[in-house]
Amino acid sequence: MNRRLAKGLLSALAIVIALFWAFPVYWMVSSSFIPTAILQSFIPTFFPVNGTVSNYAGAIADGSFFSALGMSVAITLTVVLFCIIFAFLAAVAISRFRFRGRRSFVIAVLIVQMLPAEGLFIAQYKMVSSVHLLDSVIGVSVIYIAAVVPFTIWMLRGFVAGVPVDLEEAAMVDGLSRFGAFMRITFPLLAPGLVASGVYAFLQAWNEFTVALVLLPSEAAQTLPLWLRGFVQASATRETDWGQVMAASTLVAVPVIIFFLIVQGRLTSGLVSGAVKG
Amino acid sequence: MKRKIGLLAAATAAVVVLAGCSTPAPADESADGQNITLWLMGGDTPDTLRDFLKTEYADATGGTLTIEQQDWSDALSKLTTALPDTENTPDVTEIGNTWSPTFTTVGAFSDISDMYDEVGGDKLLPSFVEVGAVDGANYALPYYFGSRYIFMRKDVWAAAGLEVPTTLAQFNEGAAKLKTDTQSGFYIGGEDWRNGISWVFANGGELAKKDGDTWTSTLSDPRTVEGLTQLQTLYTESSLAPVTEADSTPWVNLNNNAATGAPEAATIIAPGWAHWSIGDLTPDPKDDTKTVATWNDAIFGNFVLPGVDGGAAPVFAGGSNIAVSAASKNQAGSRELMKIIFSEEYQNLLGANGLGPANLDYVSSLGDDQFATALSESAANSKLTPAAPGWAAVEGSGLLEEFFGKVNGGGDIPALAKEYDAKIDELING
Amino acid sequence: MSADTLTRSNNRRGIRAPLLLLIPSIAILVLGMGYPVIWQIVTSFQQYGLKQQFGQAAPFVGLDNYIALATDPQLWVVVGKSLAFCLITAFVTLGIGTLLALLMSTVTKTARLVLQVALLLAWSMPVVSAMTVWIWLFDRRRGAINYLLDMVPGIEMNRFDWLSTPLTFLLVASIIVVWMSVPFVSFSVYAGLTQVSDEILEAAQLDGATGSQRFWGIILPMIRPVISIVLLLQLIWDLRVFTQIKLLQDAGSKSGDYDLLGTYIYKLGTSAQDFGMASAVSILVLGITIAMSWFYIRSLLKEDAA
Repeated sequence: MNRRLAKGLLSALAIVIALFWAFPVYWMVSSSFIPTAILQSFIPTFFPVNGTVSNYAGAIADGSFFSALGMSVAITLTVVLFCIIFAFLAAVAISRFRFRGRRSFVIAVLIVQMLPAEGLFIAQYKMVSSVHLLDSVIGVSVIYIAAVVPFTIWMLRGFVAGVPVDLEEAAMVDGLSRFGAFMRITFPLLAPGLVASGVYAFLQAWNEFTVALVLLPSEAAQTLPLWLRGFVQASATRETDWGQVMAASTLVAVPVIIFFLIVQGRLTSGLVSGAVKG
Repeated sequence: MKRKIGLLAAATAAVVVLAGCSTPAPADESADGQNITLWLMGGDTPDTLRDFLKTEYADATGGTLTIEQQDWSDALSKLTTALPDTENTPDVTEIGNTWSPTFTTVGAFSDISDMYDEVGGDKLLPSFVEVGAVDGANYALPYYFGSRYIFMRKDVWAAAGLEVPTTLAQFNEGAAKLKTDTQSGFYIGGEDWRNGISWVFANGGELAKKDGDTWTSTLSDPRTVEGLTQLQTLYTESSLAPVTEADSTPWVNLNNNAATGAPEAATIIAPGWAHWSIGDLTPDPKDDTKTVATWNDAIFGNFVLPGVDGGAAPVFAGGSNIAVSAASKNQAGSRELMKIIFSEEYQNLLGANGLGPANLDYVSSLGDDQFATALSESAANSKLTPAAPGWAAVEGSGLLEEFFGKVNGGGDIPALAKEYDAKIDELING
Repeated sequence: MSADTLTRSNNRRGIRAPLLLLIPSIAILVLGMGYPVIWQIVTSFQQYGLKQQFGQAAPFVGLDNYIALATDPQLWVVVGKSLAFCLITAFVTLGIGTLLALLMSTVTKTARLVLQVALLLAWSMPVVSAMTVWIWLFDRRRGAINYLLDMVPGIEMNRFDWLSTPLTFLLVASIIVVWMSVPFVSFSVYAGLTQVSDEILEAAQLDGATGSQRFWGIILPMIRPVISIVLLLQLIWDLRVFTQIKLLQDAGSKSGDYDLLGTYIYKLGTSAQDFGMASAVSILVLGITIAMSWFYIRSLLKEDAA
């Protein structure tokens, strides 16, 4: 078969698949601009003609969106920052050193990820409440970091192992301290890996919903997923106002989409080395 | 230091719980300046009532009342985690009437027997008082009552030449006749046990009975089975609702559909306040992308579900209880709030907003329109679920949704009843 | 190469440096997971219900909870369903993800970019947002999916209720999970593919190897490490899937027929208030997960020992 033709056909196929894959996202954004009265018809509206922003106005009307946004941003930043630092240090330890207990640590890291979280809620509540950290950024962040750190260690381990020690040593011969060599030579090479694990931590912290439900009981401390679910539930007591619900969903998704588009390039190259060494 | 405080708090909590709830608030404790939190379930309590409580509480104590609304679907898990926790417990909480026995028996609430007479005593709705009492002591009191009755499309019933039914059999037949390919004669979700048990109660059946100290599930009782059989027939012959639907928003089916201009149901059963959502749909003057419903007597009607021999069938009593958390550090302020809730003014406000006041002296505040009449008539004969210690667990486990779904899905009722009796028996005694 | 690096580093430094580096991670794990996990293990040997939650002593009941769960036929039905759901979803995700990765490495630059952006969009959707959209797409009355299927001649889907039978319910859940997880798999596998040397592939082609021979004989062995870690993660995540099922149940049925292990444990604990049993089931799930990932742990141990 003609190779160029094959490539053309496959490219067309790729674009069709891409459209399918993006459809739910398109649907969410498109519906969020359509007046509810039109959405209530039995015939779906595929394009937002006569668009309106009133759904957005309705979704943020009571102001609770902004407090939830603030909470989500605070928690997510905390988790991403600490996760990257902690995981990076641990990854250096397990990929640069061979020591007693290393293997047990690696396996423990793997097994921690397998714990079903649904049985842990009561204990987590008791623990966080006993130190007066319910409804606080810190309380929920500690649980999140503990849940996310194992996988980020896992991701970073491959990157650190991939940076040749010889390079560092060469730099040290040139008079840099070990730390200096590390910062100048190794760290930049790790950047994509740090981005990739940061993205992972970001997604987990931004999206998490069940732990937040338990550890952030008061309305004032809601995160965005809780806010969205509350919004959907409140809407369901009437006939679901899909326009507003879609607007609310879009509001929760937009920060993540922006973040993804910013780090996109680095993310793919990050996964490249991470995946291969993983 | 932090840790010490934590331990201290835990110890205090334990003392409060263990000392049981027979100790009234210490006499030297004053409500002055106590800031307290009230949990309300769902959005049933309108804003005017919430504002009233906040203002009155501030006037009475100088403290702040914070009202937090909990969603019914998360309420059980939130109560379970927060109520034992001195630091985070709501001071006063609304609680589903059917959950009251579960939480009162484990000591979650303060004994408020000493103020029982002051807040209304014998005038308070007896069946709700009963589910909130243990060994003659009062822990949870009624907050408001609601009830379920039938909403109908007069036009659809009249077009088929049918009168408002006066017995349950007539109702079942009429509902079956009105079913078409696109319209339920009577719209009821397959898993909607809260409405479905009306047919069980109407036929003299019960969900469980108490023998000595032990509760036993009685789904296999012949009268219960009879009610379930009627419900199964009704479901298959008159309802187009999904078998997985519980009591969500049946009223939307009674209004004309925007696309077809016709209703999807000729009849529904719903809590009384559903009438605010039923009627002719017109664009909302405040926001023309939304619609509002205006009740139209020519097209819509309501009546009380008739009993087997006429009269009102016993339906499931809606509404909730209210109680002071035993772990609360603000017992005095909490009791102050209870007094405000049971005051004549607040009771009348409940009634004016279509919620049945806990104190039956003020039932007249509901007014005398057709909805108030239907509410009182159906409530008078309404029943509660079993006051068993494990009842909240039975509800929480989803067994009832599961059982009713299977019955309405066309399952063999005696066999299913036997199976679920066994499952419920495991939980019902706590 | 990495083994070599390790040994050299080791000779130079003692045990103190790595431990210092591990302290923050270990500390946060102990802080965040330590107490809850110990509580869970202890509780699984206790009778722990609402009474205990409100301060009464929790009697130690030995293996009673475990015996009760071992003899509960309903639990094993849930275990079976969860395993089937997990295996099917994980392998379908891996299959589609790998195919899309192969597609990315063959198509034009524009097509690749379009596909990557589409996948990124899906990947970045917060779970609650994604579930809300999908539930609406599958809505019985106003969903776009029924509407589109209905337009196909001979298919009668008007008002078809996807969430009303356990099979279609889990199918919907599986579709959503696959949709959300494929991007991670594709990007990882694609990343792996970019490391496969073109020269070897061309040489193989000159020797007359067909496309599928090249895939199974050269590409697959080279990306095996990526595939196995990605598969393992999918298996772990799909076995403990919770949020998606919980939100679908909010929209459909709360009946136990629609439970997988995650929601089963959640209901057992926070709703039926039997924390002892819930803990025991959690430990069982941990056991199942370890058993499932044994292939990987073992290869890890081997690699480590070598």
